[in-house]
Amino acid sequence: MIKIKLHKALHAAQGEMLLDLNLEIEQGTLVAIYGPSGAGKTSTLKILSGLLQPDSGMLSVNDNLWFDTKQKINLKPQQRNVGYLFQDYALFPNMTVLQNLAFALSKKQDRSILQELIEMMELGELQNRKPATLSGGQKQRVALARALVQRPQILLLDEPLSALDRKIRSKLQNYILSIHRKYNLTTILISHDIGEIHKLADKVIILENGQVAQEGTPTDIFINQKISGKFKFTGEVLNIEQEEVVYIVTVLIQNQIVKVIAQSTEIEGLKIGDQVMVASKAFNPIIYKID
Amino acid sequence: MNKLQGQITKIETSGNLSIVHVSITEQIKLKAIVVERPETAPYLKEGNEIAMLFKETEVVMGTDAIHAISLQNKISGVIKKVEKGTLLSKVVLESGAGDIISLISTNAVNQLDLKVGMNAMAMIKLNEVMISTV
Repeated sequence: MIKIKLHKALHAAQGEMLLDLNLEIEQGTLVAIYGPSGAGKTSTLKILSGLLQPDSGMLSVNDNLWFDTKQKINLKPQQRNVGYLFQDYALFPNMTVLQNLAFALSKKQDRSILQELIEMMELGELQNRKPATLSGGQKQRVALARALVQRPQILLLDEPLSALDRKIRSKLQNYILSIHRKYNLTTILISHDIGEIHKLADKVIILENGQVAQEGTPTDIFINQKISGKFKFTGEVLNIEQEEVVYIVTVLIQNQIVKVIAQSTEIEGLKIGDQVMVASKAFNPIIYKID
Repeated sequence: MNKLQGQITKIETSGNLSIVHVSITEQIKLKAIVVERPETAPYLKEGNEIAMLFKETEVVMGTDAIHAISLQNKISGVIKKVEKGTLLSKVVLESGAGDIISLISTNAVNQLDLKVGMNAMAMIKLNEVMISTV
């Protein structure tokens, strides 16, 4: 459990802003932070990692104090066991992939983690290449692996995939989910992509003007729960086809494919890859026992 | 999806089911049945503004005043547009509550001889109407 009660006056573009955080994050969850630019999202991650010092408050991780103004505790970034990944890969250009990873090892650390991460992130064929020869998605895979070298308990992701195209992003999202689960990380992800948040996050925190405006599951926050339909699922649009005066929308809901008849007005602005809610009334589905 | 906004005028509840009466305009009143009760769904309150949602494929079209029919929701208007496909057609009815779109078979459009300018009635079963807060 991460307990956060922190205050920090920030000089945002719009002027002074008080970042006032009061949050509890369960161990092993993947939490997304969503909100407008300048709401304090990146500052929150910097404070957690120790790169930015809050004015007052306390921060504890699994009952260990990392920061407490009363007891004058403030662990240095390198004492915090946090992996940090930005949108900008920040790899050393003069080093190979393997050297970039090895550089992140702490002094007495066993090198076996490098091989483990190279396998996990499928970097085997890239390990002797320099960053300049890699694609954006490959660089970000290396940067993600590097963030994990010191076996952090907490992984902080600051819009790591926003510069990548949809297909690569989806692949990287799968890597993030698998490492989050394998290493039982507590992951905090800043994202503007609602589809990404639906796919990855257990919980969303909406940050506005330095304050937590809303907290809940992605479905609670982004999908109008106030619709009366009882037969309600979220999924991803796989295909949209026109048939005469209607459209057939194919939607992937978990691992099942469903087809929904839609009207031109419902299709407006809808594209393949979008997250959608499929709803019907409890009166419509037919139910029967499978023998 | 057709969407009409109105005010809840009455809620009849029995067990976990409620029939919600909504006044869209003076003349147009719609009903929806939901698996909720006012205690489980805070938006179920007389006087509340609410949206009624129903799929175009659930809208039945008729031409004359039809009295002996079980359908609870009837909206009369004038046909504004008919778009014919081979099997399915889209009929747009202009009503006091706004445009109602109905998707029915092209065969039905031909049988009823539905044409622009005709008076017609859109009907929706009450179990096909969803409600949503606005």
